[in-house]
Amino acid sequence: MSEKPTIEAYLKNIEEGHFKAYKCVDCGMIIAPPSGSCYGCGSSNMKWAEVSGKGKLVSFTVIHVAPDQFAEEAPYYVAIVELAEGTRVSARLLGFDPLKPEQVRLGINLKLDYEKGKSGATYLAFKPA
Amino acid sequence: MPLNNTNIVSAAQTKFGALTGVTLREIFSEAVDKATIHAGIPKKDIQAAFIGSFIPEMLVHQGHTAPLLLDFAGLKGIPATRHEDACASGATALRAAIMAIESGLYDTVLVAGVEKMTSVSTSKVTEALAAAADDQFESSIGLTFPGVFAIAAVAHMQKYGTTEEDMALVAVKAHKNAATNPLAQFQKEITLEKAMTPRYVAWPLKLFDCSPISDGAAALVLTSNEKAKKYTDLPVKITGTGQASASMNLCDRSDLTSFSASVDASRQAYKMAGLKPKDMDFAVVHDCFTIAEIIASEDIGFFKPGEGAKAVRDGITALDGDKPINPMGGLKAVGHPVGATGVKQAVVIYRELIGDAGPNQVANHDTALMHNFGGTGATCVVNIMRRADL
Ligand SMILES: [Zn+2]
Repeated sequence: MSEKPTIEAYLKNIEEGHFKAYKCVDCGMIIAPPSGSCYGCGSSNMKWAEVSGKGKLVSFTVIHVAPDQFAEEAPYYVAIVELAEGTRVSARLLGFDPLKPEQVRLGINLKLDYEKGKSGATYLAFKPA
Repeated sequence: MPLNNTNIVSAAQTKFGALTGVTLREIFSEAVDKATIHAGIPKKDIQAAFIGSFIPEMLVHQGHTAPLLLDFAGLKGIPATRHEDACASGATALRAAIMAIESGLYDTVLVAGVEKMTSVSTSKVTEALAAAADDQFESSIGLTFPGVFAIAAVAHMQKYGTTEEDMALVAVKAHKNAATNPLAQFQKEITLEKAMTPRYVAWPLKLFDCSPISDGAAALVLTSNEKAKKYTDLPVKITGTGQASASMNLCDRSDLTSFSASVDASRQAYKMAGLKPKDMDFAVVHDCFTIAEIIASEDIGFFKPGEGAKAVRDGITALDGDKPINPMGGLKAVGHPVGATGVKQAVVIYRELIGDAGPNQVANHDTALMHNFGGTGATCVVNIMRRADL
């Protein structure tokens, strides 16, 4: 946990099912996805932070027309999720019928999960808490 | 202080659409000829060129395009630089030209934008366009371009009660205006029912909420006050300009119902011009998706946050409304050859302001605003233009 975080390691953590955020050493702000400088104080001094995995749904869409590498997975949800720690991430949303998006309510509680895509990659994901 | 030395003296675009049988440089050269020699401006008068083009490397396998395009268009030798800011490439090229004139470095320059998109498959274009989003954190989980605007639409619908039908009405208006614009890709009106056809691209955005894949070019000649009279009796002045950037990632933005770069660039442009939204007779905004026009109409201050959809419903933004928006049909129906769009928007404003818009002429045409944004809204350029006789 003491090494300087990198984007490569951030993506590898997701791939391995162990999501970690960045944390600003100087002001404590939690940051994800990675940024080279803190949104709170401008510092570029970062370390890793474990997160609670709790979040809220901010907004979402259902992708019907997908790029080739994701075409087999469509339709699928992509959401903006606000973590309990305050930062927001883009992630797949699980646990809802992609053909009934009108049933999804913004603001609902979510918890961290992962999705193994047909492309072989593992995506950061959230499901209803 | 308003800018006072930048004059548009000529403006032209090619037909937008699937232009088969012509390549990037030929489309470019057609727009340049229309804006120069066909308008009585000798090419030898052009001292420098500012080119907007997004991804010719991926679409037509051509880099270092500025000198190549200029050579083909008969302008070899002068300084030529390409500007790449996704869908705002044309407007950032225009801004560089404005700065070049205002600084006194040049008297007369060319601004041109071009994109050739239909020579590769749709999936290849989709993949190429995705380069304007964050590859590592957005595109990698399957978020697409329409998806980004769909997420903004869902947030806007939730906060303000905007509906899918409101968005469809923007498409209906765009097609109605484009029906009388011979340079448009779609010269055909559509019904509300057709616009509501539930062919989802990224829910809640449907096929008719999205601008098409297009080829096309547009060009402007800008010149100083001293030289302007040599070319036309009725120049159009650019009196205010603004540009801002924002986080590329949607998740790094605190408000999804507004684009901060649009708000910031508008404020700069209004302040520089010494004008307010109420002083604008009409606007040309970046309607890559129908929701983008609704949000832009709020971000540029024409309507309060959340009231953009009502303005569409009430016909305020129609060609004959109080505040026409995209009077010639916008990106939605005229087409969106990415690098050409920002330049074409200035062409539309020029034609409207000098009273040369034919059946698409707006009633009041003294002062107008253009709003061009790049990618997911991470770049925005806003310019305010007025007829020089005011
Ligand atoms: Zn900090």
